[in-house]
Amino acid sequence: MMITRKAMGRRTLLRGMGTAMALPLLEAMIPGAKAAEEAAAARKRLQVIYVPNGMMMENWTPATAGEGYALSPTLKPLEPYREKFAVFSGLSHIQSEALGDGAGDHGRCCGGYLTATHVKKTEGADITAGVSMDQMVAKRFGELTQIPSLEVGLEPPSLVGSCDSGYSCAYTNTLSWSTATTPLPVTINPREVFERLFGDGDSLDAKSRLAQLRRQASILDFVAQDAKRLSRNIGASDKHKLDEYLQSVRDIEKRIQKVEQGGTSAVALPAYARPSGIPDSFEDHSHMMIDLQVLAMQADITRVSSFMIGREVSGRSYPEIGVPDAHHPLSHHGRDPEKIAKLTKINVLHMEQVAYYLKRMSETKEGEASLLDHTLVLAGASLSDPNDHDHRGLPTIVAGGLIKGNRHVIADKDTPMANLMLSLMDRLGVHEDSIGDSTGRLSGFAA
Amino acid sequence: MLPLVRRRVFVAGVAALACLFAFEASKSPVAAETAPTAKLALNTPLSNASALASVPNADRKKMLMQYCTACHNDRLKTAGMSVVPLDADNLQANQAIWEKILRRVSLGEMPLRGAPRPPKEQLNDFTAWLAQSLDRQAAAKPDPGRATIRRMNRTEYANAVRDLLALDVDFAKEMPADDTGYGFDNIADVLTVSPTLMDRYITVAGKIGRMATGQASRKVITTDYKVPKDLFTNGFGVPSHNERASDDLPLDSRGGGAFKFYAPYDATYTIQVFLNANTSDESEIDARNRFEVTVPLKAGLRTIGASFPRNLALDELMVPKSLLGPREPAAAPVPIPLDVQVDGVRVRRLTVPSVATGPAVSQSFYLRDVMQISVVGPYDIKGPGDTPSRRKIFICRPSDTLPESTCAKRIFANLARRAYRRPVTQADIAPLMKIYDQSRKGADFDHGIEAGLEAVLVSPSFLFMHEKDPAKAAPGTVHRISDIELATRLSFFLWSSIPDDALLAVAQKNLLHKPAVLKAQVTRMLADPRSKALTQNFAGQWLYLRRLEYQKPDRRAHPDFDLRLRAAMQTETEMFFDGVVRENRSALDFLDSNYTYVNQRLAEHYGIPGVHGTSFRKVELDPALHRGGLLGQGSILTVTSYNNRTSVVLRGKWVLDNILAAPPPPPPPNVPTLNEGKNGKALTIRQQMDAHRANPVCASCHTKMDPLGFSLENYDAVGKWRTGYAGQLVDASAVLPDGTKFDGPSGLRGILLSRKDQFVEALTERLMTYALARGLESYDMPAVRAVRYRAVNDDYRMQSIILGIVQSIPFSMRKTPQT
Repeated sequence: MMITRKAMGRRTLLRGMGTAMALPLLEAMIPGAKAAEEAAAARKRLQVIYVPNGMMMENWTPATAGEGYALSPTLKPLEPYREKFAVFSGLSHIQSEALGDGAGDHGRCCGGYLTATHVKKTEGADITAGVSMDQMVAKRFGELTQIPSLEVGLEPPSLVGSCDSGYSCAYTNTLSWSTATTPLPVTINPREVFERLFGDGDSLDAKSRLAQLRRQASILDFVAQDAKRLSRNIGASDKHKLDEYLQSVRDIEKRIQKVEQGGTSAVALPAYARPSGIPDSFEDHSHMMIDLQVLAMQADITRVSSFMIGREVSGRSYPEIGVPDAHHPLSHHGRDPEKIAKLTKINVLHMEQVAYYLKRMSETKEGEASLLDHTLVLAGASLSDPNDHDHRGLPTIVAGGLIKGNRHVIADKDTPMANLMLSLMDRLGVHEDSIGDSTGRLSGFAA
Repeated sequence: MLPLVRRRVFVAGVAALACLFAFEASKSPVAAETAPTAKLALNTPLSNASALASVPNADRKKMLMQYCTACHNDRLKTAGMSVVPLDADNLQANQAIWEKILRRVSLGEMPLRGAPRPPKEQLNDFTAWLAQSLDRQAAAKPDPGRATIRRMNRTEYANAVRDLLALDVDFAKEMPADDTGYGFDNIADVLTVSPTLMDRYITVAGKIGRMATGQASRKVITTDYKVPKDLFTNGFGVPSHNERASDDLPLDSRGGGAFKFYAPYDATYTIQVFLNANTSDESEIDARNRFEVTVPLKAGLRTIGASFPRNLALDELMVPKSLLGPREPAAAPVPIPLDVQVDGVRVRRLTVPSVATGPAVSQSFYLRDVMQISVVGPYDIKGPGDTPSRRKIFICRPSDTLPESTCAKRIFANLARRAYRRPVTQADIAPLMKIYDQSRKGADFDHGIEAGLEAVLVSPSFLFMHEKDPAKAAPGTVHRISDIELATRLSFFLWSSIPDDALLAVAQKNLLHKPAVLKAQVTRMLADPRSKALTQNFAGQWLYLRRLEYQKPDRRAHPDFDLRLRAAMQTETEMFFDGVVRENRSALDFLDSNYTYVNQRLAEHYGIPGVHGTSFRKVELDPALHRGGLLGQGSILTVTSYNNRTSVVLRGKWVLDNILAAPPPPPPPNVPTLNEGKNGKALTIRQQMDAHRANPVCASCHTKMDPLGFSLENYDAVGKWRTGYAGQLVDASAVLPDGTKFDGPSGLRGILLSRKDQFVEALTERLMTYALARGLESYDMPAVRAVRYRAVNDDYRMQSIILGIVQSIPFSMRKTPQT
């Protein structure tokens, strides 16, 4: 089926949002203009973009290494930004392999993507992974912004059954873990993201936003006390749940303080209509979520964001690009050329979303530079060839002004992905001794 | 299925294969795996008690030593277990292993074929003895397992708000989806709280509080409802249908749509109806095709609808049969009526042109239809109105004789009792009054109440279900939960919501645990409309029905699959499940029935003659129609298919997982998938699967799944009956691992009915997991069996199963956790 893509779709979408609530009124939430420019220069950000079900590696991996390498078919959509990104080959998540746990590669590879740990095989009773890289960064940067991190995605979690054999859906619903036992599920509804960023008040002016937040603060006082009262009467394991609750309360209280301390000058944000819900079309949804993440970065509401274009074992089909087949079964292509061609189409569509993100970030000015210049982007999948659930040689790109682009780096065989993660965090000024199964910094990263 | 067991089964499979080579008798690993599984000894002959007792326990052990130790010895420990240290006089010591033995031997999976096995009578006698001994032991020393603090999931939250505040707005959509475990989204251990969720709780509580107390924004806002549409036809417009589009629209209507709109105030609102433009951009919703009326609306939940009169259906004839390309309308538009309804009553008949004309290319392929309905308002606000929510909240009004603070306390005491599901004390009310006082200051009484209400909705006492242990209860000891706690467990099980006043009242009097009272409450609650939650949440997940909404069958392969058919499939299965529960029918109806529920659309899909209109009705099924039971229903057959083809494996696995609770072990890691052949469809699924089973590693599981799936091959990927496809006749014959031959869906139904006790146990396991909000463990199995025995003695009636669970040890008792 041929479906012509129409520019109209986007316009219709915006119309459909109803109340066009322009957004340029974020005074209290952003530092003063002059201070803002100075602060912006020092600002660094982390963005993770994740695609599910691995990658057709023969169409992904560039044939040559080093600078000025030839782009592969799947990377083609990123061509305009080739100076801004580098391809890393050969990195592996060996901890995502079975290691005696049997089936469930999708559950493990998603839980392990940013934690580099061998997640515990369980349907629910004792979910355990590790602190994820984005959350290590968020713990540092979170002190500086209203929200420590955003976790957004495009696909609803599996509604029924298990997500991957023996693994709770908690492992496939997010990349982000604030502790080894606290997953941070993604939000897929653009309106929820919008309200998280800008509130749900009648108007988005600073005063009413502040009034709304102050009222929330008094409610939070109350619920914190209620939680403490409750926790006196319950056992240790139950206390853990209430601690989680209290931690979340504190996070929001901190945010309210931040807003109250904020300056008074406005940074002009583009008019952006309040989304009404989840758009039907994949691409409209994806673009909207990317726009919101760019807005969040621009307004400095957060500096850490992770974006899941799909969930592992995603069964999404993409009839709009001629792929009516479900993604996951296709990914077990069995070397069937037709399946490989379709799978590649999906891979390319997903890379187009990464390209759209880079486009938006590079177009958005921050001082003399662009947002992208102050951002580190990690994009990729947590499987290489999905047919074999291969956890080695993962498709990985790193983009943004904080690294040297236009090169294809080939790591030594079986180099832990975690080594790249340590090097990336170094660039952000977050120095960790180790993460997951890391064995050191990635050699060749600095170039 | 026990998680413990499930995890290890594959290992067991491989080890068993290896170990089997020790038997010279085994011809090949494949043959070994085709062990006899058909004849089940699950129906424990309890009456045989005396006969059982006559066999000394030492002989039981002797039998295990004789037939099991070739693999399950201390050295090999196949599947991680050895029977050597087991003591038949003391089952308690190795309870989990004994349960595992009972399950595998009952299913006929052990001993493996090729290995020597005891005579059938001896095996049946053994399983009967083992089940009875384990049950007796459980009764003597009850173990209700872990019960942990549990957060409401988003569905429960929305239902609780509905019942607490008489506010029937779907707030679940406002919350992020919950994680699932053990197949359900209400599992206590999995429901965490993240900052994102906390943020939503606060935001949504604000929305609810303002809406319920009548203090929503006074600003004019636009609320849009996009009428669900089938896929556009790519430059040919948006299909309209000669059908009543919703139960909320008049019987003699065609097309359009209706939605629930919450009017924040008694005020004036503009209802805008956007009709299809049928331009080359089919998704276009533009002002040229907008028609509107301005009407007064009472505050509260309103149903806003727009549709055309049915007699316009004649025009459908004008729709060209072939779609050759965009075309201008053949004639100038004529005026046609468009009705706008509020709460099912027509408020205005508008006149609109029959086709859109304008600068863009317009077409006349489809009739006029409604793309979107918007409500803009409020204008000219009269006041907050007399809504059900305000009546429910403001049970008093301050007056000369009733000081504001006294009234406020009364209001909060009433709300908190329902929200916290227990009697409240001064310690509960005082902090709410503090919030009330703060907000009352710069505003009015209602604002003060609203702030307190928001606080209640975010408080952990509302959001978490938690249970107390008796003072000084030693860790590991067991006690019956309080009647108040039982009321909460019960209402979240049957209603996915908070207890109502009637339930709380009997609980507060400590009467609820009395069997007659409990039974009466269960009966009452199942008859209540709120028990629809059991269908939506339990059946929705047990049967994978929730997936149907996201299933997008390939329109080229299934051109007659549209939103109406999908909705009809959903309704059929929901009504079917609901009927079995409420009419207290046999749970075996799920396996086979001579009735189902259809409307015209679905009846045509099934080939059932004589059903007209969009309303659903119960119909008797002719066996020649190949329907009956769940496995004849389009919903189940669709969710177990891919978008563009059926899947023998998905269907087979669905039956094993959900009907027989005998899930196949997961595929071993990194087994390369089969090359399905160059021509995909040319190599039949059967040929592909035959190739699959030629590989012994694959065969160990696929011999169990595939036959079940093959027998359903006569149903296509949207559940339509077919006798052939891709130029070949459907071959729905199948052979079970034990050699039993059967054919087609009726054959499968026969096979399943021959295992009805296994099915009832499977259903009980799923329902109990849902009721307890945790995964089942080996020590829960006696409780599962107890429910089964009870159901068997009551013609397998559904309410027997439900009541059995409610009265079971894990549901009614609690173990004080280790600290």
